[in-house]
Amino acid sequence: MSKTPVTEAELQAHVDGRLPPERSAEVEAWLADHPDEARRLSSYRSQRDALRAALDPVLDEPVPLALDLRIGEPARRRWTGGGRPLVAASAAGLLLLGGAGGWTLRDWSAPPSVGTAGLAREAISSFAVYASDSTRPVELAADHQRALDGWFSERLSRPVSAPNLEAAGLHLIGGRLVASEHGPAGLYLYRNAAGESVALYVRPMDVEKTDRMTSRGEKGVRGWTWADDGLGFGVFGSAPDGYLHDTANLVRAQFRKA
Amino acid sequence: MRTPADIIGVVQPLIPALRRYARALLRDRDDADDLVQDVLERAVARWHLRQGASPRPWLFAILHNLAIDRLRQRGRRGIPLQLDAVPEERLAAPASQEASVDQADILTLISRLPEEHRSVLLLIGVEELSYAEAATVLGVAQGTIMSRLSRARERLRRMAEETGGASLRPSLRIVS
Repeated sequence: MSKTPVTEAELQAHVDGRLPPERSAEVEAWLADHPDEARRLSSYRSQRDALRAALDPVLDEPVPLALDLRIGEPARRRWTGGGRPLVAASAAGLLLLGGAGGWTLRDWSAPPSVGTAGLAREAISSFAVYASDSTRPVELAADHQRALDGWFSERLSRPVSAPNLEAAGLHLIGGRLVASEHGPAGLYLYRNAAGESVALYVRPMDVEKTDRMTSRGEKGVRGWTWADDGLGFGVFGSAPDGYLHDTANLVRAQFRKA
Repeated sequence: MRTPADIIGVVQPLIPALRRYARALLRDRDDADDLVQDVLERAVARWHLRQGASPRPWLFAILHNLAIDRLRQRGRRGIPLQLDAVPEERLAAPASQEASVDQADILTLISRLPEEHRSVLLLIGVEELSYAEAATVLGVAQGTIMSRLSRARERLRRMAEETGGASLRPSLRIVS
């Protein structure tokens, strides 16, 4: 047994496994004679382990495009372009970084027709064409929601159902399947009491299977895109941006719960 | 302008850990990633000012200071610092149903700690910075780190006991 008194700082360091081995053994021996202190330290270790377990999954997430330094301009502010830093890496950069590991040309030379930027363009076009169609904006109306959901689920090869957006004052009016260069996409149309239309556009993603929520806009249509677990989403309309953002958050929360 | 390859080589591997710390502080994935983007922007712009400082604590210090600014702004805008309203789906993806209960518990518990306690628990326990590095990040003496660590752990232990205690012993908990 050590004659050097054990200090609180040493006990903390012991929890963190940072004492030199000899001293660690002495502290262990001391703890054997002080069960209350041993319990206290054991509780601290459990805290730390629980904290790590709760946060470590972040490490396994793919690094979002906007944070990827290997792609062209890493940190261009969103307000300068309203979009994420786009994949404009030159061939020279490609050669320079070719050995960086695990990356293929396809992954990061993606033109904006793919990823959520591509999805945004498709969604904006669909909104522009269909939401303004006074004759037949949807193929299947909301009273056939089950059939609509089944149709989308089958064509998109994954379970999809129209989220309930009553919290944003939006009622489903129906939907239709639309064509994109990436295959079929589902378009749900909603309307609020003010007569404003909001489109929810959804399709599987080949690139950017997971992507943060990003503000998009073109030709007077605004909205938000994101991707979760291989499914890409766009919420678009001509309503105020904050309203569309709230709506997008509602949609995302419901799909993540499903 | 493209980021120089030497900076990429050093910083890119640290991005996941920066995201983890940011998320633990802000408890919101989008806010946290937005914050990390700010950090990277600054780090690249000020790389030449680093002057031999070890990159990991240097980056965490930038992150920490920007996070504190944001939390203060939230406070001023009346957004509660304790973000129970943030759906858990926006936090770390849970490994399993039971784990998610416990993990949500520990994150909620640390969100109730004073910021200086929360930071030290995260930097030492999760990010595994040395005590000296944590002192650099937080701009305090190493002795202060030790006393904050001790107080933070004890406070968290008491809080966990008050709320049932089981939350910190996930392996002993059976949810049927």
